[in-house]
Amino acid sequence: MVALTLFKEAADMIREAGGEKLDNCYQCGLCTGSCPWNQVRSFMVRRLIHQAQLGVIDFESDDLWLCTTCRNCVQRCPRGVEIIDIMRAARRVITETGTSKIPDSLRLAITNIAGAGNPLGQPPEERGDWATSLKLKHHVNSYTLYFSCCIPAYEPKVKRVAMATAQILKVAGVDFNILADKENCCGESVRKAGDENLFRSLANKNLEAFSEAGVKQILVSSPHCYHSFKNEYSKLGAEFEVLHMVQYLAQLISDEKLTFKKEVKKKVAYHDSCYLARHNAIYDEPRQILKSIPGIEIVEMSDIKDNTLCCGGGGGRIWMDTKKDERFSDLRIQQALDAGADVLAVSCPYCMLNFEDSLLGFSDTKPIEIKDVVELICEGLS
Amino acid sequence: MSFEPKIVAFLCNWCSYAGADLAGVSRAKCAPNVMSIRLMCSGGLEPAFVLKAFKEGADGVLVCGCNLGDCHYIDGNYKTLMRMTLLKKLTRQLGIEEPRIRLQWVCASCAEDFVSAVNKITEDVRALGPYRQNKVEVGSGSAIS
Amino acid sequence: MSSLKGKPDEDIKIGVYVCHCGHNIASTVNVEEVAQHAKGLENVSVARDYLYMCSSKGQNLIRQDIMQLGINRVVVAACSPRLYEQTFQNVLRESGLNPYLLQIANIREQCAWCHEHGPLATEKANRLVSGAIKRVIHHSSIEEQTVPIFPATLVIGGGIAGIQAALEIANSQQIVYLVEREPSIGGHMAQFDKTFPTLDCSACILTPKMNEVARSPYIRLMTYSEVVDVSGYVGNFTVKVRRKARYIDEDKCVGCGICIEKCPWSTDSEFDADLGLRKAVYTPFPQAIPNIPVIDRERCVYFLKGKCKACEKFCEAQAVNFQQEDLYIDLQVGAIIVATGYDVFDPTPISQYGYGNLPNVFTSLEFERLCSPSGPTAGQLKLADGREPKSLAVVHCVGSRDQNFNAYCSRVCCMHSLKYSHLFKEKTGGEVYQIYIDMRCAGKAYEEFYERVQGEHVNFIRGKLASITPDMSDSVDEEKLVLTCEDTLLGNIINVTVDMVVLGVALKPRSDSEKVAQILRLGRSRDGFFMERHPKLDPVATMSEGIFIVGCCQGPKDIPDTVAQASAAAARALAMVVRGKMDTGAITASIDENICSACKVCSALCPYGAIFFDETSNVSRVNRILCKGCNVCGAACPSGAISTRNFSETQILAEIEGVLV
Repeated sequence: MVALTLFKEAADMIREAGGEKLDNCYQCGLCTGSCPWNQVRSFMVRRLIHQAQLGVIDFESDDLWLCTTCRNCVQRCPRGVEIIDIMRAARRVITETGTSKIPDSLRLAITNIAGAGNPLGQPPEERGDWATSLKLKHHVNSYTLYFSCCIPAYEPKVKRVAMATAQILKVAGVDFNILADKENCCGESVRKAGDENLFRSLANKNLEAFSEAGVKQILVSSPHCYHSFKNEYSKLGAEFEVLHMVQYLAQLISDEKLTFKKEVKKKVAYHDSCYLARHNAIYDEPRQILKSIPGIEIVEMSDIKDNTLCCGGGGGRIWMDTKKDERFSDLRIQQALDAGADVLAVSCPYCMLNFEDSLLGFSDTKPIEIKDVVELICEGLS
Repeated sequence: MSFEPKIVAFLCNWCSYAGADLAGVSRAKCAPNVMSIRLMCSGGLEPAFVLKAFKEGADGVLVCGCNLGDCHYIDGNYKTLMRMTLLKKLTRQLGIEEPRIRLQWVCASCAEDFVSAVNKITEDVRALGPYRQNKVEVGSGSAIS
Repeated sequence: MSSLKGKPDEDIKIGVYVCHCGHNIASTVNVEEVAQHAKGLENVSVARDYLYMCSSKGQNLIRQDIMQLGINRVVVAACSPRLYEQTFQNVLRESGLNPYLLQIANIREQCAWCHEHGPLATEKANRLVSGAIKRVIHHSSIEEQTVPIFPATLVIGGGIAGIQAALEIANSQQIVYLVEREPSIGGHMAQFDKTFPTLDCSACILTPKMNEVARSPYIRLMTYSEVVDVSGYVGNFTVKVRRKARYIDEDKCVGCGICIEKCPWSTDSEFDADLGLRKAVYTPFPQAIPNIPVIDRERCVYFLKGKCKACEKFCEAQAVNFQQEDLYIDLQVGAIIVATGYDVFDPTPISQYGYGNLPNVFTSLEFERLCSPSGPTAGQLKLADGREPKSLAVVHCVGSRDQNFNAYCSRVCCMHSLKYSHLFKEKTGGEVYQIYIDMRCAGKAYEEFYERVQGEHVNFIRGKLASITPDMSDSVDEEKLVLTCEDTLLGNIINVTVDMVVLGVALKPRSDSEKVAQILRLGRSRDGFFMERHPKLDPVATMSEGIFIVGCCQGPKDIPDTVAQASAAAARALAMVVRGKMDTGAITASIDENICSACKVCSALCPYGAIFFDETSNVSRVNRILCKGCNVCGAACPSGAISTRNFSETQILAEIEGVLV
């Protein structure tokens, strides 16, 4: 074995790129033990942190791109090490220095976002097309903005979430606006994937559009948008209220602005998304909503709330290929089945996309339905 | 009537006697055939005590001390260990069967060890039957008194 | 065998008291039958059973019988003697009987509670009571003795442990002799730069205490002195102290320092870990207590070659006295506190670390002196060639946790290694590597200090250092060192290149600890440190009554633990000294001088050194102050001359007879 030589410069780069708490790690390995990857394959988070400390990190390794930023490790870390920041910083070093290759699928998504403002590379002018049939207000000054996220805006399998959301808001008589082609991807996953510059540019474009429209309150469908607007844009000077739909709708229901007319006779398991539950401690509101829909029986899976199991889609992983036997979403669907659920309810477009993909792997009959919480509300309203 | 052995136990004050007390406190049941005699240290056990017990009609003798290394008097139980080894050589010559004399370390929290030692020696001695001291006249001389 | 020693002449009248203990005993043992059985036995005048013998009514039954029936031996059949023996002893005492004329038969814990109800349980209770009755016949009165003790305390060693202990005692206005081998008190702590985890300057917190020692009217400070002999026993020690010739009259010297200034001869300074120089006449460091120099006769040219005397010429106080000789004085003390400290491990035998050959490899103590503002470099970190180091590696566990050297953990090195990281960063801003096996930071605010130092961008490499070699790569024009080890967290061999290495060396027992142990009759544990009486419940006392051990002579420890232990030892010593007298135990051995054959088997076996041989009468005798009553001697005495009070052979043999009737 050839002895390693330490490159302090590499460690310093990671530290400067946002991994300041790197040094505090005392190598207990709780991160590795808590990481969902180790339910499907080996991922030595602890070792990667130590390599980063000493500057002997292997920038060629695929490991650097695994982290889904699910925050399970950070939440438990006894030394307060911001492991996600370290992963992000390492990716940033690669992105900014060209030290090694960015995975192809990720690069494509990033290129698309840079060019078209969405990861799918769809034309920006079609971003508001999902709402055409609903005759929503575009571009007019509005206090409240509904920001759909790229996936519900373009992805055929998830469009229904945006449409259901808008319908509910209309039923409740909410005066709201959409920005359609003025919107860009929020950049949350872009940032986690290491492209800090692109994130900044996306954020600036969005902030400009929001301010032009005079937006004071943003409603979002994606926990990633929520996290980014609330915790990252705010540091760039944003001054607006951000609410995830589950928060906003739970309030509408409790204010009796929405009343249910129909029973939804289903057993529903609610999947806490990492970015709502662990990153932002939002797990009561979606359950309140489900509880208020007549007919729904809530069943709980084994990993819930701040112990939730990641769908595998965060940290830019939504755009990267994951081997068939290594998908957390498969494990999660099994948990829902074990809990006896007919429906796996979600409140995140990434989770929905991953679970829908996982269902393809099951035999021809659909063992379970994947529904956004807003879809279930719709069912109860109609 | 079935044979009920009579057994004398010598317990050191600090560990074994406390361990035997604990057996009672924890209501652990053991054979009622063993009568305890308290010594300050098992190292203070004179070999004559053991022989005297057999002479007076005991069918067995149990000696208990602290675990090795835990003696209240530093190393008294090591002396016990050596003396008991020598004594057993002698008692074998006197025709006292091996199982009739038992050495057992019992710490102050080792009630179970005491109970099982009591039960073991009672069963062993019961199986051997009464010790007939007329087989060998023990202690007729003054050597052991 | 049958020759039980004759019963005492008096008329034995035994009272037997059988306790029901509510249902505790009575539900298993037929207590009335036991009392009835006892009544029929020889010498038994009265036998009663009662609901609760330990209650005041129960106690009164005994009291009345003693008073009214003239009962002179008591057997209580009740719970374990470990619980109420003292209570019933008090009943006897209050009734005018010697408390040792009592025997307890344990029919609760060791009978009723561990057997089923039935005739066998009652039979066993009968046997236990018979045993107690037969035994108590042979009980006799035992008188405890008190002996006066010398009111002074000796503290050996003037490091922080000894200083603390001496001050605690002096603050109680009791006399302390503080004996220190070196010319000044202060010990290792005086050599340290800063102390973890608070980074207090060591001298700043130590010097006030040293001055307090100098000022205290209750402390008799003897520096440059050694204890050479200790005789006697607890309360009555006689200690011989050798006061080495200073060649400076302590009464005349005013501490002006002119002798030091004028002395033309220099040598390595022990205080500076040989990294700096001192004169042949010297004080180890500027804040020395007492501030009185010493002439080192091994280095003084007058002593070596017969001429110089520069010091004498310049000393206005005429304090220099080349004719001075060693003085031997005897001290009488009641208690002794041993605070002799530790030596640091010499890492030379670990040849792969190159200590001694590679000039930029230092020990932890050397590094302390390099950091210290009063040290040889005035606190500037310098390499052998005078450059300031830009990088440092601190190697943990050098000579510790290593079966080849010392198996134990030295406890302070993790923390002082972290401290060095901080100091190095502070002084140079350079790169620091910690090469450790485990980080052990157990102590108040220690883990927090570890985390703080981590946050100062120190590199932690987990692994035992394999080697230190000079950097041979051509590109290097300055001398550098390459450290090689496995980073066990990566599973890779790692090379670290640095300017300077500090070896965190083990704390060892003093090289003369064996000799000191002999003088004080102390035990040593396997690691060579002095042995405490009990590792958990009595870590301050020793097997030698009246002698206490504090600080690192008992085992490696940090300053807070040392100070705490020193205060504890002072409290123990004061507890004896303030009382002015002490009681002997009741259960002690005695030797029948008419039978003793002077074989000395007993004294060799006694763990407390309580048996001494009286040459004039040619018999062994027991010191009742020291004896703890284990009867190890009694069991071994080939002549049967030794008997332990309240556990005599006669008593035990009678009990055996009783339980087997």
